[in-house]
Parts: sequence; C-alpha cells; structure tokens
Amino acid sequence: MEYAFEVNALRKEYPGFTLRDVSFALPRGHIMGLIGPNGAGKTTFIKLMLNIVRRTAGDIKIFGLDSLAHEEEIKSRTGFVLDETPFYGYLKVDGVASVIAPFYKSWDGARFNRLCREFELPFRKRVNSLSRGMKMKLALAIALSHGAELVLLDEPTSGLDPVFRRELLERLSGLIQDGRTSVLFSTHITSDLERVADYITCLRDGDLIFSAGRDEVLEKWAVVKGATELLAGETAKLFRSINRGPYGFTALAFDKEEVRRRLAGRGVVIERIRLDDLVFFLGQEGRQEKEAARE
Amino acid sequence: MFKILRLEFVFNRRQIFIIMAMFTAYFAYMAYQIDSPRIFVVTMSIMIGLSMPFIILGREDRFKTAALMCSLPVRRTTIVLGKYAATWGAIGLGLGYAFLFKAVFPFSKFSIGEILTARNVLVSLFLISLIVTVILPFTIRFGLTGIIILLVSGQLLGILVLILTQALGGAGNPMRFFFRAVESGLRTLLTRETPPGFHLTLVAAIVAVNAASLFISRALYARRDL
Repeated sequence: MEYAFEVNALRKEYPGFTLRDVSFALPRGHIMGLIGPNGAGKTTFIKLMLNIVRRTAGDIKIFGLDSLAHEEEIKSRTGFVLDETPFYGYLKVDGVASVIAPFYKSWDGARFNRLCREFELPFRKRVNSLSRGMKMKLALAIALSHGAELVLLDEPTSGLDPVFRRELLERLSGLIQDGRTSVLFSTHITSDLERVADYITCLRDGDLIFSAGRDEVLEKWAVVKGATELLAGETAKLFRSINRGPYGFTALAFDKEEVRRRLAGRGVVIERIRLDDLVFFLGQEGRQEKEAARE
Repeated sequence: MFKILRLEFVFNRRQIFIIMAMFTAYFAYMAYQIDSPRIFVVTMSIMIGLSMPFIILGREDRFKTAALMCSLPVRRTTIVLGKYAATWGAIGLGLGYAFLFKAVFPFSKFSIGEILTARNVLVSLFLISLIVTVILPFTIRFGLTGIIILLVSGQLLGILVLILTQALGGAGNPMRFFFRAVESGLRTLLTRETPPGFHLTLVAAIVAVNAASLFISRALYARRDL
C-alpha cells in the first residue's frame, strides 16, 4: 500500500508535555481526522509533520521520503493550514498570495483567484482586518492553490460558519477523488469527521490511543450502560472510563462484540458510539488517571 | 534566497520608509551640530546597525509569521541567509540614504567628500557588522524576546559600567582604559595613516565577522521550535 505519510516512534519532548513514540500511517487518497482533548498533541503532531518543531526522536516519512532530508520537496507538495493562521497582517489578500506563490513551482494563480471568489475573500482588504473565519479561508485558498498531494489542516473548521464548514468538507471529499491527494485534519468538531474521514486517529496527553478506519472505530467502540453490579470481577476490564452512578454505570467499551457476548441477557444497553462520545470518555479517562496518579 | 529577500522587503517596506523618515531628522541634527566627519560616521553606523535588524526580524515575531515561513518549501538555512541578506539590504538602503542626505543637506558643517570615502564606508560597514553579529543570532533564535533581552542587558551593562567607572576612579581605572582603547581604535580606523592592505584587511574582517554570525544563526535557527 502506498502511504501519504508514515510516522514511526515519533517523539517530541517539551517541558511539561511529551508526545510519546507515536506510530501510524495514512494511505494515499484518504482523509484522516485527528481527534483528542485539548493538550493531546494534535497541533504538535501537525507542526512536527511540517518541521516547524523539531522531533526529539522517531521518523516521519511523507510520500516515502524522510521529512527532514527531503524537506523542500515534501513541502512543495504539501498544503497546510495552521491553527493560528499566522499571516503578514499588513499585506492585502492578493499581496499575501503574491509573496507566497513564488515558493511553489506549481502555484496556480487562476485557481487561487477562483477560490478567493468562491470563499468571498476581499482581495484588497488587509489581512489583519479579516475575521478569524476569513483568515482561515485565506489559508485554505493558499493551501489548495498549488496542487498539494497532502493537505495538513489544524482546526480548519473552527471560526467557520456552518454553511462554509459543510462546503469545506465537501471540497475535502472532492479533493481525494483523484486517488492521489490525502488530507489530515485535526478538529474538535467531531461530527465533521463522521461525515468525511476515512481514518480516525486519537491522541490523549501525548499518547496515541488508536489509529484506525472510521467504520472500524464506530463498529468496535460503544457506550455501554448497565447495573453497577455487573462491573464486579473481570467484567470491568471490558470497559474504559467508567462512570458509576446511583442507578448504574456508563462506560466506554473498546470491543462491542465482546461486551455483547459476555453480558448478553444481563440488562446492559449497548449504544452506537459517536466520535464526540469517544473524545469525551477518553478525555475523562485521562483526567481520572491523572487524579489517581496524584493520589 | 531571493524569494525570502523579496518577501522580507514586501513585508517590511513601510517600516523601512518610516525609519528613513526618522533618520532624516536625526541626520539633519547630526550634520548641523557635529563638525567631525569621524563622529558622524560612527554614530550613523550605530544608528543604522541597531535599527535595521530590529525592523526586519522584530516584525516577524509580532505577526508570528516565522511558523508560516518555516512551513513553506524552503530550508531553514536558506531562511537565515535570506534574513541576513534582507538586513544587509536594509542597511545598504540606510547608508545610501545617509550619504545622499548628507550630500544635499545645505546646513552641514562638513562636505560629503569628507565622509564618502572608501575608508569611511568600510569602517562603517565594519562597525555595523560588529553590531549585527550580536543582534541577529539573538533575534533569530529568540525573536522579540531576544531583542528585549539584548536591550535590557545593554542597559544593565551600561549601568554597571557607569557604577564601576565611578567606583574605581583614578588614573588606573580599567573602565577608563577600556573606553580610551575603544576611542583610540576608532581614531586609528578612521584617521591615522594605515599600512598597505588596510582596506583589504577590513573587508576580510567584515566577511569573517558576518560569516561567523551567519554560521551561529543557522545553527540556532535549526533548533528553534515555532
């Protein structure tokens, strides 16, 4: 299988945070969603892909090439949207494009102009007078104007109105139709991922929780509700992030079929999971683990 | 490298023109008040050497555009080279403007011919190189914080030197000796008879100082997380 990128034992150490030996890959021509609670390491991961921050250890291969040794070539084939949209605020929209365009051999000015019109971006307006959503649109227009084979998007839908968000997702789905373009995007709006992502990768506190196909994740994981007595003994090991209440428990099951098999006929309710639930429960589990470690 | 150079100038052109306007007032005052071409050359070099790197590098930090620059298909070593080229380009503009201004300013106490000599230009470039050598690696590595650290350190050093000068007093005061040595060095550079090959030595020193600074900056920037 041909991969858009492969990361192997990727590690980044900051004071107070470590992205720990993360390994996963995205096959070409697919969309991967990066999810996780705040501080999970999503932005750090995207910055590592772009070499904006330097890795402590591990490998990143993009298009089969080492991301450090072939930095220039890889970046010329990669589009990006950063969370903070760091543009030259003093410049106008067309001015930003004019200084960025020379860096890309395959820059398509006509495409950029078309995207700006579609995104209703005012060409003659200074960047620092644009709203966050408009800056995001400008970043997207730039990212999509040089025929990028890999598009890295850090929270691209934040600050966008629902109509444009939907349009963007459709555009991303359209991008990968050529079978050559791949997209990695991090988001807190997990419903966006349910709509378009082929793969989901979940990070928490710098650890990789899972990286798998969306359907596999939605099929395998579940929210389970039942009587607290059921948690006695080995059964509790089927669950993560258990909430015990006066009327029973709610928990995350990472193997829905196993739960069904072991607890059949014992009054449990197995609900189809949404990515939103997954982030919530995994985030909660992280907090519980931290509290337990403190105690 | 030229792409970076272009980007820096497009990005900073307004600030460069603003600082040129400020220079106009400063140069006018200097040319009107000071009758020593030597002092004019030294102060002009310090002004230009201090202001231009801050303009080129400080704004990048303000707009947080370093991350954008490093995400573009260009190596970090090339970015640093581009920044040096942009800084020296701005310095060149500053020096050119200073000499042009001096040539047309009617109330000057000395003529343009007295300052626009190969020796003065080289000494000016050498002094600017010494300043830039320190400033650029700091700002490239630490951004605006680096500039602030440098300015605060300079202020503290100045206070310390003043206190030491006062405290030590007398003829044997090492601080006074140091200042006299600097003054004497500048006088030698600008006025005394020079041995053959002096200009060549100055050019070599300018190149060496900048090359060392560039080398350090490249190493520092390669390790910078944005």
